[in-house]
Amino acid sequence: MTFFAPFTIPFIAGALFMFAAIFLKWLWWTVKLPKVDRRLILHNFFTRNTLVAVWEVVRESLLHIRIFRVNPLLGYMHMSLAFGWFLLIVVGWIETSVYLGWEMIPIQGHIFFKYFTQVNNIDAHSALLENLMDGLLLLVLSGVALAWFKRMASRAMGMRRATKHALYDRIALSALWFVFPARLVAESLTAAIYGGGGFLTGSLGSWLGGVVPTEMLALIYEPSWWFYSSVLGLFFVALPFSRYMHIFTEIPLIFLRRWQLRPTLERKSYDNFEVEACSRCGICIDPCQLQADLGIHDTQSVYYLRDRRYNMLSLKVANNCLMCGRCEAVCPVGINLTTLRINSRAMRRNIPHEGRYGYLTNIDRSSGVGKVGYFAGCMTSLLPAVQRSMMQIFNAVGEDVWYADKDGGVCCGRPLMLSGETDAARKMVAYNTDLFRRYEITTLVTSCPICLRSFRDNYRLDGIEVLHHSEYIERLITEGRLRVAAGAEVYSYHDPCELGRGLKIYDSPRRVIEAVGTLREAEHNRRDALCCGGSLANTVIDDGKQQRIARRMTAELEATGCDTIVTSCPLCQKSIARTATRPTLDIAEVIAQRIVS
Amino acid sequence: MAILNFGYAISRPRAIDVDNNDLRKSNDIIAEMPELQACIGCGSCTASCTAAAITDFNFRKLHTAVRRGEYKGVYDELSKCMLCGKCRLVCPRGINTRGLVMLIKRKLGDF
Repeated sequence: MTFFAPFTIPFIAGALFMFAAIFLKWLWWTVKLPKVDRRLILHNFFTRNTLVAVWEVVRESLLHIRIFRVNPLLGYMHMSLAFGWFLLIVVGWIETSVYLGWEMIPIQGHIFFKYFTQVNNIDAHSALLENLMDGLLLLVLSGVALAWFKRMASRAMGMRRATKHALYDRIALSALWFVFPARLVAESLTAAIYGGGGFLTGSLGSWLGGVVPTEMLALIYEPSWWFYSSVLGLFFVALPFSRYMHIFTEIPLIFLRRWQLRPTLERKSYDNFEVEACSRCGICIDPCQLQADLGIHDTQSVYYLRDRRYNMLSLKVANNCLMCGRCEAVCPVGINLTTLRINSRAMRRNIPHEGRYGYLTNIDRSSGVGKVGYFAGCMTSLLPAVQRSMMQIFNAVGEDVWYADKDGGVCCGRPLMLSGETDAARKMVAYNTDLFRRYEITTLVTSCPICLRSFRDNYRLDGIEVLHHSEYIERLITEGRLRVAAGAEVYSYHDPCELGRGLKIYDSPRRVIEAVGTLREAEHNRRDALCCGGSLANTVIDDGKQQRIARRMTAELEATGCDTIVTSCPLCQKSIARTATRPTLDIAEVIAQRIVS
Repeated sequence: MAILNFGYAISRPRAIDVDNNDLRKSNDIIAEMPELQACIGCGSCTASCTAAAITDFNFRKLHTAVRRGEYKGVYDELSKCMLCGKCRLVCPRGINTRGLVMLIKRKLGDF
């Protein structure tokens, strides 16, 4: 039996090239992994996590469950292409095994089996298998049809905007789109000449046999297989350099993630797995407020990752991001988009400067004595009413409080981190940690989610409980230490990005508000909440643009018919207040007004 | 010592000769951030500044000097900024001051 024909050369060459390229990429990335990461892999390899990762590969790399949650039709499209093609390969392999037993057949023998059954006179006429293979081909073809449809009307598939692709991707995409129709044509022509085929290729074949003259069929038979093999080969050659590399990157990424590898503020080899796992599906585009409110179309995560991957990332694209995390919340691959962007910034801006912040030695602006520390944060100092309200609350419950920065302190370091100046930020981290240790506080309350995020994520404050003031107030109320009077006031609450998506604190502020009045939810809330636009992470957009983002978000809050807008971040409060027609208060101010003594 | 610093010491001449200063960097900076020309020099940025509360860091002085082509020492001085962003919130002209700090440092990296 022979399993070679000249037309299979493009396929074989393409496949060999692709597997070699993927293998080299994987090898290079793995070899370059820092020691910490390699140790994590060894440590977690023989644990339950590996099995969980296998299951996740099935769910996400094949079935694409997370995309189904975004939009069922979109999910079906991705599932039919990935899972359908996978089954086509697996069932195709079973098919050849059924007819030929466990004989070793070269890979092209499986892929072009219909062709080689004629060459070798194999009696391959199981109706079940042929119909099954046709069904799977139809499944994949329906995905391709939806992909075409999506190019024309992405809105119908839950996407207001689809990704604009680069040249590499367009080549690979076109090849992929031709692969399955080409297979349909080649197999149908085979059925037309030699008979056989399932409900799809068989019926199409007998129809073709009726309308196309026999000489004509014989003439286009070989070229149709050539075409099928060539588009497959072209797709394979383009794959490692195009977005389709995600197919073979998401799988190791899922394992590495389950083995607890994470990107950090500094670039490392692990980032390659995250960057190339992006399929450029474009689901991150719609949630981006820079796109929706300002019409900026070049900075969304999909384009950022693309630019970074091809080494053409501009400073502007890296900097033009609110880091609100709305894209990260919907990313079906679960890429750590904000951390990656921070380390892109760090690569350009983290300049060693030893003498920097020398003035931090011997500075102590703290006052008061107590085991509970209060860190107002820079932004809160622009809103004295918030700090005053916190002091009222502390007084009402008789808490002894040590104030870290009542008369102006030192920044928590997160703003520097967000702009990529990681080393500089560490100096603030060291300064503040030392300060908290020196005064031996056991609880640290802050009214700024930006500070809170850095305290929880970047500080080592073992032994000190770090609380957002909404969590602290909630605790006071549930423990019965603080008594508040409920009123008829209607509030709507804005979830600050750092507090909500950043630290998953959604319920504490809501419970606090519900203790004193009625809470009405805005259209976008919790994980889906809009950003106020004032984010420190974006240093590109100007004041007018910040206000445009804030205006739409404020309008949603006001549409609830609330009397007062409440938030729990001084920066958000500043952004909302200047576009709102209703009073905007911090959660501490709301509570301070309602204290029953 | 305190009385010596009070201002009775002899002041050195402080003339700024805009005609002879090299304004290329300054023009570059203004071209990238034209809104800087809207600055009215109110000093709110300095008044609200976290770093200014604990050192003699003065952002208004620095960006004014840069606009006039006086770059000496500005880079090192600007490194005192903690980028906390309060200045941007208080600026009555809505100037992107945080972006400006980063821009000036980027442009003056070699001064």
